[in-house]
Amino acid sequence: MTILTKELTDRARQALGMPDCQYAEIRISSGISTIISLSGDEIESMSSGESMGGSVRVLAKGAWGFVSFNDFNEMEWSARRARELALAVTAREKSSVTRSNPRIQEFATDVKRDFADVPLEEKYLLIKKYNDILKSSRKIQTTRALYRDLQSEYAYLNSEGVDFRYRKSFSGVSLTSIARDGAAIQPFHESIAGYGGFEIVQGHEATAEFVAKTATDLLDAGTPEGGKYRIIADQKLAGVFIHEAFGHLSEADFVHENKPMRDIMVIGKSFGPPELNVIDDGTLRDHTGYIPFDDEGTTPSQTFLIREGVLSGRLHSRETAAKMNEPATGNARAISVFTQPIVRMTNTYIGNGPHTRGELFGSMDDGIYAIDVIGGQTNLEMFTFTCGYGYEIKGGKKGRMFKDIVLSGNVFTTMKNIMMIGDDGKMFGGLGGCGKGGQSPLPVSFGGPHIMIKDVLIGGKE
Amino acid sequence: MIDDATLSMLKKKAQWFDIIEVSGFSEPVSFKNSRIHSIQHKKNLGYGVRVNVGGKTGFSHTNDIAGLSRAAHRALELAPFGDPENFDLPQNGEAPWSPFNPAIDGYSLSGELVKGESVIDSLKGEFPGAVVDIGISSSVSAARLVNSRGFDQSYQSSHYSAGVSLTYIFPDGSKVDIWEGLSSQKPEGLEEPAARVREKLLNAMKTVSCGRGTVPVIFTPRAFSRLIGILLTGLNGRSIHKKISPFAEKLGERLFNPSLTITDDPTLRNSPFSYPFDDEGTAAQRKNLVEDGSVASFITDLKYASLLGLPPTGNGTRGYSTLPSPSFTNVLVKEGSAPSGSMIEGMKSGILVDQFIGLGQSNTLTGDFSGILDLAYRIDGGAIAGRVKDCMITDNLFTMLAGDFTLSSDRHQAGSFYAPYALFPSLNFSC
Repeated sequence: MTILTKELTDRARQALGMPDCQYAEIRISSGISTIISLSGDEIESMSSGESMGGSVRVLAKGAWGFVSFNDFNEMEWSARRARELALAVTAREKSSVTRSNPRIQEFATDVKRDFADVPLEEKYLLIKKYNDILKSSRKIQTTRALYRDLQSEYAYLNSEGVDFRYRKSFSGVSLTSIARDGAAIQPFHESIAGYGGFEIVQGHEATAEFVAKTATDLLDAGTPEGGKYRIIADQKLAGVFIHEAFGHLSEADFVHENKPMRDIMVIGKSFGPPELNVIDDGTLRDHTGYIPFDDEGTTPSQTFLIREGVLSGRLHSRETAAKMNEPATGNARAISVFTQPIVRMTNTYIGNGPHTRGELFGSMDDGIYAIDVIGGQTNLEMFTFTCGYGYEIKGGKKGRMFKDIVLSGNVFTTMKNIMMIGDDGKMFGGLGGCGKGGQSPLPVSFGGPHIMIKDVLIGGKE
Repeated sequence: MIDDATLSMLKKKAQWFDIIEVSGFSEPVSFKNSRIHSIQHKKNLGYGVRVNVGGKTGFSHTNDIAGLSRAAHRALELAPFGDPENFDLPQNGEAPWSPFNPAIDGYSLSGELVKGESVIDSLKGEFPGAVVDIGISSSVSAARLVNSRGFDQSYQSSHYSAGVSLTYIFPDGSKVDIWEGLSSQKPEGLEEPAARVREKLLNAMKTVSCGRGTVPVIFTPRAFSRLIGILLTGLNGRSIHKKISPFAEKLGERLFNPSLTITDDPTLRNSPFSYPFDDEGTAAQRKNLVEDGSVASFITDLKYASLLGLPPTGNGTRGYSTLPSPSFTNVLVKEGSAPSGSMIEGMKSGILVDQFIGLGQSNTLTGDFSGILDLAYRIDGGAIAGRVKDCMITDNLFTMLAGDFTLSSDRHQAGSFYAPYALFPSLNFSC
């Protein structure tokens, strides 16, 4: 059954034909999802829900009006209201957008096993199996095992003749074990997600085992002393670092009207060693940041943010692209049809370097091997991440296990301090995602090879 | 619409049920990069249906205005997979009060545009290099709750919020981000947040060096609220039940300095974070969470109250699309006796912390935290000497709150928190 009927999209196309508008777009969607959440021996929630609605965004006289609705009967009213809101403003500086070419296309996720054909009981038994593994050790206090699937249809139409449809099927599991020994409480977590059918969430028993074992092992891990260290970051930490610390700086909405920032983010300026390449690529179908088109109807592209150590590109919406006279990159994304698209990343990673993993570890006598990430934040100049865990490296040998490794530093200095880049790149996604401007979590992926960085500040008692 | 046909169908098939209807609209105005960027009009409506069949609970939701019956049937299908739940839903009570101020009708787009532009003009006039973003929003929403024990109540709420944020980049490429906001039931002027942004920027104009080791630290109400937020996680009935709180089985025990009293109060009539009853129909109530340093209560909803054998505290909150779960409302941290001005003046050498980044990403269940100081100042001889950068405080919050500290006599709003300044004599500081 489709909610987005031809009658509805015809009405949308009709509604876009308004006078005095530089640009107008309508996005409508309808979706249904199932969530099963288990915790310890309990079923926290068995829930399903549907969400439908849309929004109209209008650019007129250089200002934006945006109206969202969940009753399709209000679509025409919403279009008129969006235009009124845009015209209500006398913009001192006017926004504009790059042009798009008329194009009609349909996209759909490749699905092996449709969620609609999977009995609820089978979904429940799958996540129960993972949950049983997560709580398998005696020291596990509690667990959280979350299953989520989502099927949606989405229509994007604009006043320039772009008409896109997307039938999306997405699912994932999020697996957490919380180990406890006396007063010590230690969580560990992994999440797997992707576009496809039920096959995406099957076969992750080994991940559940790893989560339970790591949470338990970390109970006995120590914390490193505070100070400056040489570190090797694993692929996941390298990916989060490049997403948080550099990727957000490449989002042009921050740069485009900010003169001092523009002076820092100059194309051609050196940001790291010649081995360093940083890429954002929304076309990679196997990763959670994949989009067939962004929420302004631009198809995604492979954008080199850094090529051979030098700043070579940035991420654009059609508005920031017009402002900076650069091409739109397909990075205007919204978390749902109820919110406005803003400049976001997709699949962002450090490209492979020349060194094997053995060469990296062979070149570090003393330091820390920092693995995985619990959380990270940046204010665009400074960053801080907490690693999932790590190991002391002494005399070239892997030593004690560490937990609560908090890395921080200045973004630009740290990028210049990258000493070696491995050749074992790997991508990560999951049910979580990226947050910006109150829109969270947006599905993205990140990754890279192992990298070695010198002089990284690690918090803690000295 | 909550229709009779769906109600009578549920009465036949479910042991008990409740339906929540949430609707609202808002008109946010957003200024980006020191100019008006967009005006939005957002409308939403949705239903959540929770049903219990044979002691087991299922849940479904929809935002289709004609979708309630479908959602009810889906919830019934899910129920057999649920856990046994054993609690009584509330019965109908008195007509509720509303956290609503009719002055919200005075919100006008043209008026807000003028307010925003005047803040931008004044900040840009003084700091031409600054980039100012402003978000202003007014929303009016309504909640209705109907259950199988005859509860049928609704109330309206109004919420005005505004945030002024400023980014300033110094000639050496370093930058500062400052954010100030307010929340109210009715439209307010933006002069106060704008003045605070201005003052903070002036104080941050000069960067000074800082030592490392242990130093005295004053947290502003906003920074202190973030820290108290870590403590609150452990006072949630959900973490108590899961035995991942350090405070389980500590009810009544004095774990903190006696000057610490923290209250959760959804009954404050003027706060936009208040409500007459929670999203399961339990009447809102004021309660101390920490009283004179002792653990005084845990917040619960119906489910966790029943699992823990505690009374429901009226903290079961949700939107229409999720099951209820215990959450905090207005959090009040009791004030001390020293004016914040004299706290700063009395400090020979130390740090004043206002904004963290990265707090709460550590293993906060144990009270450990590690926060980069996004906006913090060095105090020398009782006055702010300048901003300190690239620094971090790493300590254990529970140990800190058990030891000595001083709270200011003035309290300030920080989101849904009302908190004083807090001075800790010796914290672990690294640069």
